[in-house]
Amino acid sequence: MKTIRRFNHVDAHTVEEAASILRGGGASALSGGTDLLGTLRFEVLPEYPETVVNLKTIPGLDFIKEDAAGLRIGATTRLEDIARSETVRARYGALAEAAHRSASPHIREMGTLAGNICQLTRCWYFRLPDNRFHCIRKGGTQCFAVSGDNRYHSIFGAIRSCFAVNPSDTAPALVALGARIQTDRRLIDAGEFWDMAVPGSTVLAPDEIVTEIQIPRPDAGSKSAFLKFAIRKSIDFPIVNCAVAAHGGSARICLNAVYNKPWRATAAEESIRGKAITEESADAAGAAAVETARALPGDRNTWKIQIARTLVKRALLACA
Amino acid sequence: MPEEKKSDATPKSSGSVSRRSFLKDAGIAVGAPALASIPGIPGQAAAAEPAAGPPPAEPPVCTTIQVEAQKTVELTVNGGKYRLAVEPHWSLRQLLRDTIGLTSPKDWCGGLGACGSCTVIVNGRPVLSCLTLACECGGAAVETAEGIAKSGHPIIQAYIDNNAFQCGYCTPGFVCTAKALLDRNGDPTEADARDALGGNLCRCASYQQHPPAVLQAARELKKA
Repeated sequence: MKTIRRFNHVDAHTVEEAASILRGGGASALSGGTDLLGTLRFEVLPEYPETVVNLKTIPGLDFIKEDAAGLRIGATTRLEDIARSETVRARYGALAEAAHRSASPHIREMGTLAGNICQLTRCWYFRLPDNRFHCIRKGGTQCFAVSGDNRYHSIFGAIRSCFAVNPSDTAPALVALGARIQTDRRLIDAGEFWDMAVPGSTVLAPDEIVTEIQIPRPDAGSKSAFLKFAIRKSIDFPIVNCAVAAHGGSARICLNAVYNKPWRATAAEESIRGKAITEESADAAGAAAVETARALPGDRNTWKIQIARTLVKRALLACA
Repeated sequence: MPEEKKSDATPKSSGSVSRRSFLKDAGIAVGAPALASIPGIPGQAAAAEPAAGPPPAEPPVCTTIQVEAQKTVELTVNGGKYRLAVEPHWSLRQLLRDTIGLTSPKDWCGGLGACGSCTVIVNGRPVLSCLTLACECGGAAVETAEGIAKSGHPIIQAYIDNNAFQCGYCTPGFVCTAKALLDRNGDPTEADARDALGGNLCRCASYQQHPPAVLQAARELKKA
């Protein structure tokens, strides 16, 4: 089995230290390690870092706190701790469920929330070892999936010609709950946080460090839900997932694994606005959610459109 | 048709084609003409020649590489104290197997984090030792299946009584995960057991026998 190639390892003790090392170039940020170490072992990316900088040794980034304003979760908080937290389960249910359905129990004990929202795409052309497909996300000039096996790829088109999807389960929950991501230099709305980058999945600068995630306290009577479609109940990345946060006559609906970044289903939100959530209204919202969805060439991912439609409907009904 | 060599370690002398370069060229050759006929995809259709991958690597010259000295890590494994020199890129699995000689953590999926056969317990958490860096385990308390067996934990007998293994390759990983569950939850339901063991795969399909084994061990622990 392939051994991981050598790198230097530095324990960062402050955010500034970590940012400074990343600024120097040739360095990768290491949180839980469940994404980065796999990319290093299989040499997925064209460049291999000389140094890996450990963010887990920065004190004060591992916490779950709630106050009158809402929930704050530190960047290096483990997914399993979020899934088990009574506070998160009670009032921010979509996030607790999303964290619980992420990956496997072991990966949840290691993986962090910041790492989960920053993770790289799982597109199998991107992920083939030894940078076998030097695609757009690695500085190349084309997408191999759009004319290849794209059964798991985007149903809402591309961002700058990349048709891969974002694989995070927590991301759509954060969008639906109106979260904001605090970095060492700015506060970013969840709706603005993800983008197609080379090779990243976010708008973060190469030396920018996420410090915490904030979720506003929901109004009394709010409900949220998260659903994930995957072949297996554990380990698998989502084929489609959906998070809904609803209160009164309005809902925030976010799909993921259907586009290059989390997809806010604004057409579905319009469809359900001012209406009670019923079988009929939820069904109509599901249909609205996928009205602009299109299968990719080859029609291998048509099936995802139906799944997205159904998850929107069921997630809404779970908030009725 | 270029001749495909069996080994990837072919010398890059002129005239020889390695499997790696064949696949790279084949991927690019398939991509460009197919895309040229798809309307509405910006930036793709205009490609007149196959997109270039990264330039072929120059043969390496002798280079001085700046490496830091090995790190020293002090940790406890199955109750015993160790003080070890570790390379920064070593996994905990490597440290346990190759340095300490505890071979229960296995390698099945090649380090993808997809099988659970390398599971050990670190500070009470069941984790994948293949994706845990040894140099980050300073001060850690690590438990492996060897230690769990030696301590007489009822999970071992419960696995035997319930026939919860066949070839035994996945068993140490399952045992560590189950023990970690029982440490945290002394009264798990069958659903709790299934949920907790969801990250451990078994190629011999022993799956149905695991929840009864976990529940039996829970009953034994309550008696003690």
